[in-house]
Amino acid sequence: MTKASNGPSAYAASDLPIGPILVATGLTKIFPGVRALDNVSFSIAPGEIVSLLGQNGAGKSTLIQIFAGAHPVGSYDGLITYAGHSYQPSGVAAAEAAGVALVPQEVNIVPDLTVAENITLNNEPTLWGVVDVGKRLFLAKKALAYFDINVDPGSLMSSHDLATQQLIVIARALSKNARLLILDEPTAALTEHESLRLFDRMRSLKARGVAIIFVSHRLAEVFAISDRIIVMRDGRICGEHRAGDVTRQDVVTEMIGEAASVAVRATGQKLGTAALEIRNLKVFGTENRMRVNNLSLIVRKGEVLGLFGLLGSGGLEAALALFGAWLGRREGVILINGIERTIYGPDDAVALGMGLMAQDRRDCLIGDQSISDNIGIASLRKIVRHGVLDVGAGRKRALTQMEALHIKAGSIDDEVRTLSGGNQQKVQIARWLAAETRILIMIDPTRGVDVGARREIKNIWSDLAAKGDAILLASTDAEELVDVCDRVVVMSNGRAIGELHGSNLTEKNLLRMATDG
Amino acid sequence: MAKPDAKNPNVGVGLRLGFFSRLAQNAALRSSMLLLVLMCVWAFFYIATNGTFLTQRNLVLLALQTSIVSLAAIGAVMLIVTRNFDLSVGSAVAFVGVILALLTVKHDVSPALAVCIAIASGTLMGAWQGLWVTRVGVSSFIVTLAGMLYFRGISMIATNGATVAPLPRSLTGFATGFLSPTFSILAVLIALIAYGSLRIAEIRRAYQLGVLARTMPDLVRALAPPIIAALAAIWVASWQGLPYLVLLVAGCAFAAEFLMRRTRFGAQLYAIGGNPEAARLSGINITNAIFWNFVITGLGYGITGVALTARVSGAIGGSAGLFLELDAIAAAIIGGTSLSGGRGRILGALLGALLMGSLNNGMSLMNVPTFYQDTARGIILLLAVTIDQLSRRSSGGR
Repeated sequence: MTKASNGPSAYAASDLPIGPILVATGLTKIFPGVRALDNVSFSIAPGEIVSLLGQNGAGKSTLIQIFAGAHPVGSYDGLITYAGHSYQPSGVAAAEAAGVALVPQEVNIVPDLTVAENITLNNEPTLWGVVDVGKRLFLAKKALAYFDINVDPGSLMSSHDLATQQLIVIARALSKNARLLILDEPTAALTEHESLRLFDRMRSLKARGVAIIFVSHRLAEVFAISDRIIVMRDGRICGEHRAGDVTRQDVVTEMIGEAASVAVRATGQKLGTAALEIRNLKVFGTENRMRVNNLSLIVRKGEVLGLFGLLGSGGLEAALALFGAWLGRREGVILINGIERTIYGPDDAVALGMGLMAQDRRDCLIGDQSISDNIGIASLRKIVRHGVLDVGAGRKRALTQMEALHIKAGSIDDEVRTLSGGNQQKVQIARWLAAETRILIMIDPTRGVDVGARREIKNIWSDLAAKGDAILLASTDAEELVDVCDRVVVMSNGRAIGELHGSNLTEKNLLRMATDG
Repeated sequence: MAKPDAKNPNVGVGLRLGFFSRLAQNAALRSSMLLLVLMCVWAFFYIATNGTFLTQRNLVLLALQTSIVSLAAIGAVMLIVTRNFDLSVGSAVAFVGVILALLTVKHDVSPALAVCIAIASGTLMGAWQGLWVTRVGVSSFIVTLAGMLYFRGISMIATNGATVAPLPRSLTGFATGFLSPTFSILAVLIALIAYGSLRIAEIRRAYQLGVLARTMPDLVRALAPPIIAALAAIWVASWQGLPYLVLLVAGCAFAAEFLMRRTRFGAQLYAIGGNPEAARLSGINITNAIFWNFVITGLGYGITGVALTARVSGAIGGSAGLFLELDAIAAAIIGGTSLSGGRGRILGALLGALLMGSLNNGMSLMNVPTFYQDTARGIILLLAVTIDQLSRRSSGGR
């Protein structure tokens, strides 16, 4: 080990602005049956932003977890040098102490503690063994100021929106004097606008010499923020580019390993009668705050209608409310196939032939139960014979859907949580197809799904629409909406402020409308 | 096994799959592991008691001793599967017993009518607690903790703390009587044939639908255990027949298992326990399902209360069913029911009850003082939960 660390320690003169802060050579990590990393070499310089791209399972997570100390030395092969010295963190805490901080995808906070308590969690300043409350506030304020966040450190974490929480979590990571910051899909839960806020902060960190590894599925962002782009596939690095030297199409091709044909829906086909109509929908949040104001729209049979808006603009709330899943107050008229209906809860909506595919898979799937059970749960009624569940028929129905949607799993009895994100989302679709649902409501359905699976899922929607199903797609992802929707209604501040279709339906137009509104 | 990976649940799945953790992972195998433990315990007592433990006479006695806890454990499994708790079953059972005893002893109501009223009151008590949980939204832990206190209190008030006895002969006769050996064996055979043909029909149907490649392994897996159990039951029954009470337990267990595994309602309960939000969003009316869950538990109060009261031939408001709720929950958990919901089998809980009963019975035969018995049961419970935790951890991919 010592001998090996001599080589890269040629970079030991870390004062030099040019020398890399972290160099990894020949990293190989083997999980049983899978070569998660195969001889990967990587380096990053202070003040550099490097994006890691790749489908799920490409090895990105393993790589950044090794850097963050989540895999102990000895469980992988290869050498890492950090700031000129051999880098062998014994755990996440040791890595953080050395200045390498990983901010995971899921915002990891304690909602009922204050911002300051969250920032200093497990690192509380003490005075004679007692928590020094004053110093804690001071440290928290400093951390927030460093990252340019205007938040009261004494306020409760739960009183802030997801985006702010995310920024606070990053501030916490930085407060430990991070010199290498690893952000794992930080924008997955953020709106475009909030992402821009994050990117501003990232650039100012860059100016201060912090190295940043950025993992994201959103190509537009990757191209906007990165100095270098590294593409991974099957545990190897299969492409490394200066951001300006490569096109999106090329990168996608590298990620998928074959020429990617972007799925574009043949729009303008014959539309049927109105499957779902809402009139003057009003949705109220806590303290009677109006979240959706007088929304009216029609989804026809065979149509994919998009509902676009930044997070908090009302699109997602409207979708939840018309499915009966909104927990607050709601007014308005809902017509299904032209008949006015009252929907008290999701059970009514399902009985009327609607299905919901929601943004968070953990809200919609039962992770500890089998694929078969998860698919069948909404269509139990259809396999009851004389009051008894026909177990064989249930399996048959689930199996049919699993094959039709190409859900990749060892067996239909596999627990859903063992599947990849994309396959989990397909299980959600399969559930509603098994229930013969003709009206599908989707809320940010491809969040955190890799490019390949995303394409497959979009194709499934197109097929459904061609069959005459009605799809309402509420999303904060403009790219996705442009790809699959016939029409998109743009929301801002709870109101519908416009509609785009045909050649006007572009990412740029969507974003402009939503942000201008 | 690589040491580092055992600590980190986020790494791949395969590496930590040693033989034992794979055993522990599979729910079906886990209950057979419980069976294995039970066999070891029985073998130990067989040797330690010079064979007394495994006589037909003692096995009948063991089944009788286990019957009340088994009945309560059935209800406990159904509630825990949906992440609800019932701390009130002991007191509720005592209350049902008081109703039954007062009606028959003090008011000369006919035993049949009194039993009906008692079971109906038990069901109402379940519905009452279900209303609090589902309509008012108080957690089941609190609702049934309160129930534990006031059901016991009312039982004492109604009887003034005195024992109400003796019950009419017809009732006690049911609880202490035996079905004749011939009819017992016949009953066992009919149950076996009924269950067997149901499973065979299902497996054949699965084969015809093309979801099962070969029928033989499934047929063996489905039929071997009940055949072995039936043979054992026939051997025990050949001595003096089977107690009515044990037949009642078997009937209730069969009905509950059927309800949980082969009806829409049961499938919904498992889904609710697995992930309430997912169940709600897939169109299940959680409020209704949980309410009926409590109603069925209440039916269990009624049946258990009648059985217990008849068995001891009287209602003792203060001590009848004391700590029954804890034994029931312990049996359910030893039997593989997961406290975090979504997992649990009736059969497992019966085995759990049988294991605890065996420890008591065997140690009594060996003249071990009761406080050692409690200690042993406590340790068994802890071990069972540990196995459950370990199996979760080793299968915890993401």
